[in-house]
Amino acid sequence: MEPSGDFAVRVKEALADAHLRAAVTQATSQLGSRRLLALATLDEADAWRDAARAAKLDAIRTLADNLEKFEARLIANGAQVHWAETPDQANRIIATIAERAGARCAVKSKSMVSEETHLNDALEACGIEAVETDLGEYIVQLRRDRPSHIIAPIVHLTRADVGKVMHERLQVPYTDDPKELASIARRKLRHDFLRADLGISGVNFGVVETGTLCLVTNEGNGRMVTSMPRVHVALMGIEKLVPTMADLEKCLKVLARSATGQKITVYTTLVRGPRGPQDSDGPEELHVVLLDNGRSDIRGGDTAEILACIRCGACLNACPVFRTIGGHAYGDIYPGPVGAIVTPGLRGMAAFGELPHASSLCGACREVCPVRLDIPKMLLALRGVGVKTRTVPSPLSLKAGLKLFAWVASRPPIYRFAARAVRFALAARARRGWISTLPGLAAGWTRSRDFKAPPSKSFQELWQARQRRNGSTP
Amino acid sequence: MSARASILNRIRRAERTGHVPTQAPSALPLAAAQASGADNLRRFAAELQALGVDLFIEDSDDAVRSRIVALVGSHPVLQWDAAALPYDVGGLFPWALTGKSPRDAQASAEIGITGADAAIAETGSLVLLSGKDKPRAASLLPPTHLAIVRRSALCASMGECFAAHADAIARAACCTFVTGPSRTADIELTLTLGVHGPGAVIVVVGP
Repeated sequence: MEPSGDFAVRVKEALADAHLRAAVTQATSQLGSRRLLALATLDEADAWRDAARAAKLDAIRTLADNLEKFEARLIANGAQVHWAETPDQANRIIATIAERAGARCAVKSKSMVSEETHLNDALEACGIEAVETDLGEYIVQLRRDRPSHIIAPIVHLTRADVGKVMHERLQVPYTDDPKELASIARRKLRHDFLRADLGISGVNFGVVETGTLCLVTNEGNGRMVTSMPRVHVALMGIEKLVPTMADLEKCLKVLARSATGQKITVYTTLVRGPRGPQDSDGPEELHVVLLDNGRSDIRGGDTAEILACIRCGACLNACPVFRTIGGHAYGDIYPGPVGAIVTPGLRGMAAFGELPHASSLCGACREVCPVRLDIPKMLLALRGVGVKTRTVPSPLSLKAGLKLFAWVASRPPIYRFAARAVRFALAARARRGWISTLPGLAAGWTRSRDFKAPPSKSFQELWQARQRRNGSTP
Repeated sequence: MSARASILNRIRRAERTGHVPTQAPSALPLAAAQASGADNLRRFAAELQALGVDLFIEDSDDAVRSRIVALVGSHPVLQWDAAALPYDVGGLFPWALTGKSPRDAQASAEIGITGADAAIAETGSLVLLSGKDKPRAASLLPPTHLAIVRRSALCASMGECFAAHADAIARAACCTFVTGPSRTADIELTLTLGVHGPGAVIVVVGP
């Protein structure tokens, strides 16, 4: 399912879907409160957040040097390192590794970067079956759907939806019991884990100092993918680094707490290299594919800080816009506040320049971010880029309106007069304290929301009255 | 120009224009460093209970062995090689599969028996390093994972574990922290145990 081109159209579709809105509201509230409970179990949680932030910022500040050191460690540890500038290059590299390994089937653990490159399609075009093994991603794949949340990919589906697709695609009797559905997936995917020649994973953190790849999962598919097949390919964005193992601990302390409300995920896997000569199992080859795909451009722009994101999804759950429209409306892999910054960076302002406007700039995202990214500031910076490069439409009426407002607002007597006139006009349109239609240029505002009726006195009038009561002049 | 060179060049140029904020280092709590062995065991037990892991604390080698025999019964077992298992547990089950057994046979085992290279009190995690005689499959394929932990292997935190075992972790191809049974909440946020890894974890702590 490809998204439709226009953000406004996608938002309308999402708003019309009552089930989606209920499911997203429930999931985001639940994840949000689990996060709070989990952070309460960490002594000095704010100090850990600052420490994790410092670690990630250090890694991306001198990103080129860090990548070179990381690469050198990986090679010393016995891994093969590949660099890809574009999704196509990354897919070709992985397809070549697969062909060389004689792989017919590849098992994948969750990797947002592989969604970015559409790796599954590329492998299938080469005759290699690619199987998603994270339960949510597996169901997404069966439905030919798209994930709607970074850590809860099928938050938009009911158990009945899941039961139906398993029944249709896997020829099993229909059930909507989540435990039974999970065990059907376990049996089916277990077979794939044992026969696959290639395991493909993402990477949560790459440790520069040691060349360690850190992967976190709850289901155990990350361990399967990195242990069972003969060849393991890890695909990672070039920004996924932390300087040291001590820094890794800082990030792990806040990641699971912010994402699912766990102290730590069930499985935290540190891959250092292919199996040693005396190991009884594990992959014989380890390949690491480092993907740029626009990240170096982000590093040079106004939103470099977003490269420190650890993809926990907490900002999605906190965002009033995400909570209303869900993930698909954002139109690409990364939804929510982080997506509104990353997607225009990776895919260009021309197609996704409207996303930075999908925010009220309330700051809830900055509040919950485990590494305290200043998301509102970056959204504003991107809005500025959109206007400067004319990639976001800014109609003449808007420009003229803002100019007029600036002229009025810098002339106090005229401003006071105009404010009073507008207040009287608005009060006349109000019904039970709300205005649901405005005339002329202002009609756009009330098309999707109501406007609160103005109070009888303005702030300036109240202030002057107060100063008079207190016996001083303003 | 190779992809590598052009990516690195582009980043170096970008580093001159794009601003990355600075963050002053913060003072992290050191309380965990003062924890005693008894504190660690208490905390470990509380965390395992919250995770739904059965815990047995035994005071002698014999008690560990009889506990394991009682837990395993006659179930098919996949285990670490005898040399890697503590308290001479390795000889208890002559029928046990090991890392040398074929993959399909390993996959049919019902209980996986492993030791633990370390354990972490504050999260209830088992630390398993890959290496000689220690197949990863034993803690991954069977539906039940039975881990035997020496009391001295307990660390207060992950940081303490990284520091104490830095060399061993750096030598191992793979180091896994196992924290409770495999789980998912992908379908309507309903908690379900035992998706791909073991749905039950049992820990026996010995002297």
